[in-house]
Amino acid sequence: MITIAIAKGRMQDDALALLARAGVCFGSSSLRCLSSSDESGEHTAIFVKPADVPVYVEYGIADCGIVGRDILLESEADLLLPLDLGIAQCRLVVAGRSDGAQNRGMLRVATKYPVLTSDYFGKRGTPVEIIRLSGSVELAPALGLADVIVDLVETGRTLRENGLSVIDVITESSGRFVVNRASYQLKAKPITQLLNALNQAVSGVPA
Amino acid sequence: MHLSRIPPGMRYYVGAQARLRRRVEDTAMSVFERCRYEEITTPSVDYYVLFEQGMGTTEAQRSFRFTDHDGRLLALRPDVTSSVARAAATLLAERPRPLRLCYAGPVFKQQSQSPAEWRRETTQLGCELIGSEGADADLEVLLVAAEILNRLGLSGNYCITINNVDVFNGILEQLSVEADVQEDIRRLVDSRALPELSLYSSGENKYRVLSQLVPLSGKRDVLDQAECLISNPRSKTALEQLRQLWRGLEANGLAQSFEIDLADVGGLDYYTGLSFKIFVNGAGSRIGRGGRYDGLISNFGRTEPAVGFVLNLDGLTEVLSEQPAE
Repeated sequence: MITIAIAKGRMQDDALALLARAGVCFGSSSLRCLSSSDESGEHTAIFVKPADVPVYVEYGIADCGIVGRDILLESEADLLLPLDLGIAQCRLVVAGRSDGAQNRGMLRVATKYPVLTSDYFGKRGTPVEIIRLSGSVELAPALGLADVIVDLVETGRTLRENGLSVIDVITESSGRFVVNRASYQLKAKPITQLLNALNQAVSGVPA
Repeated sequence: MHLSRIPPGMRYYVGAQARLRRRVEDTAMSVFERCRYEEITTPSVDYYVLFEQGMGTTEAQRSFRFTDHDGRLLALRPDVTSSVARAAATLLAERPRPLRLCYAGPVFKQQSQSPAEWRRETTQLGCELIGSEGADADLEVLLVAAEILNRLGLSGNYCITINNVDVFNGILEQLSVEADVQEDIRRLVDSRALPELSLYSSGENKYRVLSQLVPLSGKRDVLDQAECLISNPRSKTALEQLRQLWRGLEANGLAQSFEIDLADVGGLDYYTGLSFKIFVNGAGSRIGRGGRYDGLISNFGRTEPAVGFVLNLDGLTEVLSEQPAE
């Protein structure tokens, strides 16, 4: 029995479609449930907030998970990261006001990614004040809370709508398949099977 | 401040759980004793530099630190091995070798390595075999570890993964890249991050072997596959040592409980040959680890080989308390 933690939201549909192509079908009812078993009864999916996927997997409550690389980098969890699923591709960027307006004094950065932000500016030797927000980060510069933001960008539309433009791309992100270290050994056979099936589904080979 | 509060990462054991915990400890210590390991009790508080020498700076920095009245930095011991190594080089220097020592004692870490392993106080059950090198000594400590787990009724429910860090070190040496690139590669191999590793190998052919090494986890055939990939003498020797060790495990009927995992390169700066991790069904993270650290005791002025392991008593207690009673 394998438990898979799947990030709710943006990635959920793509993740389920990919799992289905890999031969693990959770059916359509799963979209509203918090957990669901597949037809074979060998896999259980649990649907949790993206930031909680690495937590469930690191504690071994879930054997493996599907979550964005951005979340993994931010969480610094000790997991195995054997496969890029290529779903929900986006970029983690630094964005600022298109009119270039800035505070005097120390740069203020609003973000949901304080670890990656401090790492990025730290490497450049730029002292910054990091303001941690939980959503609608794009509003912060227009309202004067911050000079720039560090956030995930898919199409760039939200940025434009809020008068922001990309200053720098920190990293690319997409959905990753992650595995708990203990499960990788103790459930080696089913995990490897799932990993191989997903790998084939990603590269387009029919399962 | 409420008196009811307990600092994070600390806990009580009461009644049945406390009894179970003691039984686990007694079982381990009796196996050590039967295998002629002598008990050693080390100081709970020691100079911080001891742990810096013994564990490396990154690990030592996780400890609780405070100053002595003369201003020297003290630490609540974050491990026992450092202190045992010092004793071997000093207090026990004249004792005949090999020296077999074992211990059960709490260790303290203020900061965790991983949130899932986050206990600030854990009790380590451990042993060290000092002054003895080669596959026989490596096999001996692996058998001791397996014997403890079997006696605890965990037979068939645990997996010990073994590696020889020189397989990877030999490959790294061949790549001749700078230290920070080495560290990046080590981290990527250890987390099986194939997508990131493929960025290396798409640039230059010489990195391809890294991506091929990552999936090499399994039984003896892993060694055959590795031999086709690797040509440098350092890795070859390490593979040969693993093969010899595997034969020993097979001869003892333990191949079922062991796996070879050539991508396990977590403790590279510490281990010099064999390195192993112990996983138990029901525990989300490893329950023990060990290996060979031939460079450790020379930090304290005496060069000699050493191999050993620790088991996490609290982790074992947790797993066993969730199993049906015998």
